[in-house]
Amino acid sequence: MSRTLRPALAGLTALAVAAAITLVALSSGNANAKRPARNAAASVVQMVEGTFPQSLDPGLDYTTQGSEINWVVYTGLATYAHKNGVAGAQLIPGLCTALPTISNGGKTYTCTLRKGLVFSNGKPVVASDFAYTMERALKIPWGGSGAFLTPYVVGAQAFASGKAKSIAGVSTNDATGKITIQLSQAYGPFTNVLAFPMLGLIPSGFPMTVQATSPPPGVGPYMVTNIVANTSFEAVPNPYWSKINIPGIPSAKVSVEVKANSNVAANALSVLNGSADIFDWADNIPGSLLQQIQAKAAGRFRYVNLGGSTYYIFLNASEPPFNNQLAREAVVTGLNQPAMSRIGSGTLVPACYFLPPDIVGHPPLPNSSCPYGNPDKGGNIAKAKALLKQSGLAGTSVTVWSETRQPRQAWMTAYTQMLNQIGFKATQKLLSDSTYFTTIGQSKKLHPQTGFADWNQDFPHPVDFYGPLLDGNSILPTNNENFGQTNDPYINAQVKKLGTVPTTQLQSVAKQWQALDEYVAKKAYVAVFGYEKFPEFASSRINYGALVFQPIYGWDLTSFSLK
Amino acid sequence: MTITGPNPAEGAPETGLPPALLHEAAEVGPGVGPWALAWRRLRRNRVALFFGGLFLLIVVICLLAPVYSNDIAHIGPNDQNVINTTNAIGIPIGPTWRFDHYFLGADNLGRDVAVRLLYGGRTSLEVGAVATLITMVLGVLLAIVAGYFRGLADGILSRIMDVIWAYPVVLLGIVLGTVIAVRGLGPFKSTTPLSTALVIGFVYIPYVFRPVRAQVLVLREREFVDAARQQGLSAGQIMLGEILPNLSSTIVVFVPLILANAILLEAALTYLGAGINPPNASWGTMISDGINEIPAAFHLVLVPGIMLVLAVMSVNIFGDGLRDAFDPRSRVRIAIASTSQGD
Repeated sequence: MSRTLRPALAGLTALAVAAAITLVALSSGNANAKRPARNAAASVVQMVEGTFPQSLDPGLDYTTQGSEINWVVYTGLATYAHKNGVAGAQLIPGLCTALPTISNGGKTYTCTLRKGLVFSNGKPVVASDFAYTMERALKIPWGGSGAFLTPYVVGAQAFASGKAKSIAGVSTNDATGKITIQLSQAYGPFTNVLAFPMLGLIPSGFPMTVQATSPPPGVGPYMVTNIVANTSFEAVPNPYWSKINIPGIPSAKVSVEVKANSNVAANALSVLNGSADIFDWADNIPGSLLQQIQAKAAGRFRYVNLGGSTYYIFLNASEPPFNNQLAREAVVTGLNQPAMSRIGSGTLVPACYFLPPDIVGHPPLPNSSCPYGNPDKGGNIAKAKALLKQSGLAGTSVTVWSETRQPRQAWMTAYTQMLNQIGFKATQKLLSDSTYFTTIGQSKKLHPQTGFADWNQDFPHPVDFYGPLLDGNSILPTNNENFGQTNDPYINAQVKKLGTVPTTQLQSVAKQWQALDEYVAKKAYVAVFGYEKFPEFASSRINYGALVFQPIYGWDLTSFSLK
Repeated sequence: MTITGPNPAEGAPETGLPPALLHEAAEVGPGVGPWALAWRRLRRNRVALFFGGLFLLIVVICLLAPVYSNDIAHIGPNDQNVINTTNAIGIPIGPTWRFDHYFLGADNLGRDVAVRLLYGGRTSLEVGAVATLITMVLGVLLAIVAGYFRGLADGILSRIMDVIWAYPVVLLGIVLGTVIAVRGLGPFKSTTPLSTALVIGFVYIPYVFRPVRAQVLVLREREFVDAARQQGLSAGQIMLGEILPNLSSTIVVFVPLILANAILLEAALTYLGAGINPPNASWGTMISDGINEIPAAFHLVLVPGIMLVLAVMSVNIFGDGLRDAFDPRSRVRIAIASTSQGD
């Protein structure tokens, strides 16, 4: 507003603001209707997403939006097949000539780097860059380091805590390219860990601190440029990639301009009318647009159930009131999942078990077997009230943490009101999407009580869910992913024991994982409210049939091409 | 901006007043005070009176929210009824035009829009009123102190105000609101209507401080202040007993202006996530909640948007009328400007 208060001007401002809010919401999809000429000439595809990645620095990011980009920018020693469906979860060699050789009872991983690898800045890749990459991830620290690195890699904990100058368990030979990693105990999915974009190699000597707008060079089909924090960035073809040619990893065909806008309705409209090209798969298409999109974009829109994703509410089991099991049971009992599904445009499948359907260990049981009521039937407020009264915690103040983007905010608003209905004094705390998980990850400083959380598989192994999210050993002071700070000795022991089984032999321990999943549901450590179906939605410019929707990272940018 | 009504005895050539004010001056007998004169002028401004009445009507309707909620609609502002008021993909029902059943339809959480509109109005108006009170009390008191004492006190206060003034109100509001939302501040663990009112009240203080201080600097040199000093009155007595009453017309003019801007800023901060937190209703939260539903449920944004515009516009136009009533010089200036152009 103007610095001087003039009534007429203020009146006009009022009109303008109200009109602008309405018009922006209505027409933001048309904001880019006239595509800049350079886009057409340079084959630029525009992707719109509701949330900016936590960081484009792989040393920090642990979000779906960030991983989607980073896995084609930072190739690890191993990586995943660029294929649709289950085939996309298959590990393939990345920067190593073959998948790592496992020896010494599952405790030694060895592989050799390919010849002629260079970073996107032209600098040659050497084996010691791997050791540096892991050291950096431990120092920052990356959110998964407490679950996947420090408990297993020899010397990782000592390095992370500053007691050692290097990671004792990682040895490299720059002359031969040989990399050896020693684990303190066998860890079944460790090859999957080596495929994390966070362990995609970066040059030694790159700053050990997060470089949000100038991330490190990597080895991959793409490189990231023009980062405007929390707003936009570009993924452009890596000029050195054509000389590398790793089998199974396609080259980039187009540049991708990514724009973040928390108004997902506007994003969906812009893809519908062709002013943007790709709708981010992790966003929810508002129900108000769904029928229109289904009618007008039938050939370029569909829902896909990845089967590896859980939406849940974390409950801080380390502090009152949710360190009381009755209070947690009250929450799970009161949740109205059919209502939550409608708020989410009908894309949530009501459920009560933490492991999603396509992950080994998911209990193959009907919803009627859920311990605190059938999720298909809606919440039982009266019973939840009685449980809370029994716990003696009625009237306790509770803060519900929530992202601003829809429908996540609306889910948490509904949840907050449910908490108030059953007897808590709940208030909602909203955070912008780009800072939400980093903020609630400050476990020791903020002590978040409860709020929204979701998880999509990093790899098809139940330990990917239990390790970072429910294992007490994975709790970090910052960038924590175990938001509820669950620290149950039984869970910790089972994760340690079952986590040693490789992905290929998971069926042998499926019953034990199932028992653990049922135990977690019974203890009500988390309030699962469904498994999400995701939209595959692109503009008519895009070669829709060629798109690859990878089960772990979502959109495969290397599959983007124009008709 | 002291109220110095035209003196009929001085005549037109010396005052330079336009015929309308000269006529008014001729009508006014001796002994008519500035308040009576202002009221006389305001009564003639029917547009201002109409919008003043409209604002009063909005206030009364919003204050009656509990009556409508409990006795007519039989549903609370936060009561959800998703299953019965939305379809399978979450599109809510539109207006039923039945006062006892979702008169203005439901939102995506199955809440009654009409009930939330009234409760939301209460919140928005209460926040606006409290913020205005904070701004006016602190702005005027600090301005009197700075203007009366001048020197060091004026220097310190003016520089503090300059710092606040340097930031756009929305930006400063977002920063303060976000700090409270994330970390908490003092007694506020999260944003509440009161914390939002405090933030808004704080950011507008310089907008009152500066003009009032300038007026105090003029008033402190006037004869009646000298006379008070000669009588041995203390500085506090002079500031509160002599200077403050002479600022009353300015304060009256400022109140609706600040109120309108405070209501608008509350909506903006809430829309941006730094104001009223859900599930509490305010016009800002309603607009924010409704944005994604626009293609299928336009009323969710339109209804609170219209109420916001009506409230802000009515209080602004009424405030404009008040200014005209209390500050005839502004009309004179306009009239003179028109005359000059005519020449």
